[in-house]
Amino acid sequence: MDHPAVEVSGLHVSYGSTPVLVDVGLVVPAGAGVCVTGENGIGKSTLLRCVSSLQQPDAGEIRVFGGEPGDTPEFWRAVVTTVEPPTWYPGLTAREHAELVCRAHGHDLSAIDEALERFGLAGHADAIPPSLSSGQKQRLTLVLALIRPSSLLILDEPEQRLDPDGKAAVAAMLAEYLADGGSLLMASHDDAFAAASGAAVTTMDSL
Amino acid sequence: MSSPAVPLRPVRRWIQATQASHRERGATLSNVYVGVLFVAITAAVFERQLMAVFWPSDPSLSGPAGVAVAVICGALLLLALRQLGPITMSRPAAYFLLTAPVSRRRLLLPSLRLAAAGAALAGAATAFAILGHAGNRDDLTDSLIVAGALTGLLIFLAAALAQTARHGAGLLDRLASLALAIGLAELVAEASGWVPPALTIRPPAVSLLPLALVALLGFLHLVRSLARTRNDRILESAKTAGTLFDAAFGMEPSWVADMVERRYWANRRLRSTRLPARLPILTGQDLLLAGRRLPRLLWLAGGTTLPLLLTPAPRWLLAVVLLIATMVAARTSSATIRTDAGNPVMSRLLGLTSREALYQRLWVPAGLAAIWATTALALLQLTGHLPAGPWWALGPAIAPAAAAAAARHARTGFVRNDLLPLDTPMGTVSTGPLVNSLAGPDILLLALPALIALAQDHPLSWTTVVLQAAIAVFGCRAYVNATTAEDRTELTPR
Repeated sequence: MDHPAVEVSGLHVSYGSTPVLVDVGLVVPAGAGVCVTGENGIGKSTLLRCVSSLQQPDAGEIRVFGGEPGDTPEFWRAVVTTVEPPTWYPGLTAREHAELVCRAHGHDLSAIDEALERFGLAGHADAIPPSLSSGQKQRLTLVLALIRPSSLLILDEPEQRLDPDGKAAVAAMLAEYLADGGSLLMASHDDAFAAASGAAVTTMDSL
Repeated sequence: MSSPAVPLRPVRRWIQATQASHRERGATLSNVYVGVLFVAITAAVFERQLMAVFWPSDPSLSGPAGVAVAVICGALLLLALRQLGPITMSRPAAYFLLTAPVSRRRLLLPSLRLAAAGAALAGAATAFAILGHAGNRDDLTDSLIVAGALTGLLIFLAAALAQTARHGAGLLDRLASLALAIGLAELVAEASGWVPPALTIRPPAVSLLPLALVALLGFLHLVRSLARTRNDRILESAKTAGTLFDAAFGMEPSWVADMVERRYWANRRLRSTRLPARLPILTGQDLLLAGRRLPRLLWLAGGTTLPLLLTPAPRWLLAVVLLIATMVAARTSSATIRTDAGNPVMSRLLGLTSREALYQRLWVPAGLAAIWATTALALLQLTGHLPAGPWWALGPAIAPAAAAAAARHARTGFVRNDLLPLDTPMGTVSTGPLVNSLAGPDILLLALPALIALAQDHPLSWTTVVLQAAIAVFGCRAYVNATTAEDRTELTPR
């Protein structure tokens, strides 16, 4: 692919009179991973939301694989984001959520059980997601993000609420995702997690 | 280590005084004045309707039907109290006072007294209304009203004891549902031609003293065991009370529906199963979820007989209720549309176009609507309440309209309280809830041929059926195509 996965230039976002992003620029090459770090409120999530097309910037240009991000099915077949927490389907179990996502993309169902096992959710496959703990819900969200085919992952603090084993499992799966040619843009407070996932760490101040 | 209990009364007084200091001067008096005025105006405006409900000029209910209505009202009261708690408290009180070292019994007593009084009043009003419909008025005595109030109190005690007891609550709920079904079955049987044995409601020959004694002893036992009520049950009922308050204050009934739905699934033990492979993916999901709502499907099946109760009413009323009930049947499986419309995260993850998704989501609601309406119409015809013609065929013919109506309602979202209010002689009316409640039923205009045919009471021709089917199918397609697109995933209408 000729275009970078993500190309951001001159991005400006303000909340009222408070500027959050001022002339921000960022490039995530295709097949590479970038992890943005920085303190709370510096604009990491806002940046990810803009790249995911979930928020309109005040000014600036954003390109995802050379195209404008938007709410098209083509965009969402290429991009997966966890910037917004999911609302679970009432009455559908954790495993059935994963199967639904796999089937919608014509993906192999045999990967579901393995993914649930790797994320420590095999024993909770029959649970409805609202009954899971916050850490387990985060794991399930990541299972759904990683189990379907995609070209770009946009993850907001994927290590949040995970125990050390969970962090290691997620980092390993993200490293595999990058090794298989996927691109990754994430925000995190954990440099060690970012390094383990194979993403290059950059600070918001440097963008 | 234990510390002495903190007296609750000064704490409550301080809370009330602090809350009162934030209100405008005279706000409480003004609220009472508005409340009393509202009740007085409502009673004056709806005097005829209230008389028809409580004291009709031609009481025509048979004795067994009167008993059936009493059973239905009792079961509904019990189920409502069980849903509410009935021992409850506000969410702030649950957060701050439930964990404080105050007397649990004193903390819960006000809600116990309030709920008991409400149940007794409901029982008395129900007894009055039933006797007004079924009783020989010359025989009426005050003791029958008192008996109704005592029965209401006993129902409250049963609900409250189920809340405090460790086991048996589920059994009580099932018994109440069974009583409700039996009561409705009796009414339906009479409406379909069954002549019940003669039974006249007379004042009880025995004294009400034993009943009052049982109620008193039960109440005392409940007060004694009040402190042992489990925290999780109090917290659950506090959440219910809070949601009801929010829904009433924000005029947002969907919060109550969401709460009931969440509670239903939280109490289910599920086993993952493969989604039906031969169906479109979202249709398969809806079919699986509909199959998991067995109690609701059973009520839906039983509900096909309820239009028989409306056969003495004007034909147009029967027609309107039939169409709305068909939409309600379709709404059995519209929760997934509501989820996708409310938060499109899963829609984005699935990557389907909004048009593709909505078409797939309409199949199960349309199927349920078709089955329900076909059965209801067939029953009406079999019992001789419809003239000649293929009335059953109107079921599948109106199903697409009902499914589209269910989908539109599910996609509407929250009530908009920013819309301009209407000034009427009765006061200001907020238009947001009105617009919201009409979103969905408005699409039932697509079933106009069926409505006219049912209201006219003439034999039905196949031409009308075909015309109805064509309008419903084309209208449904037009709705989907106008509110979705091939180039976006979000199901929220734009």
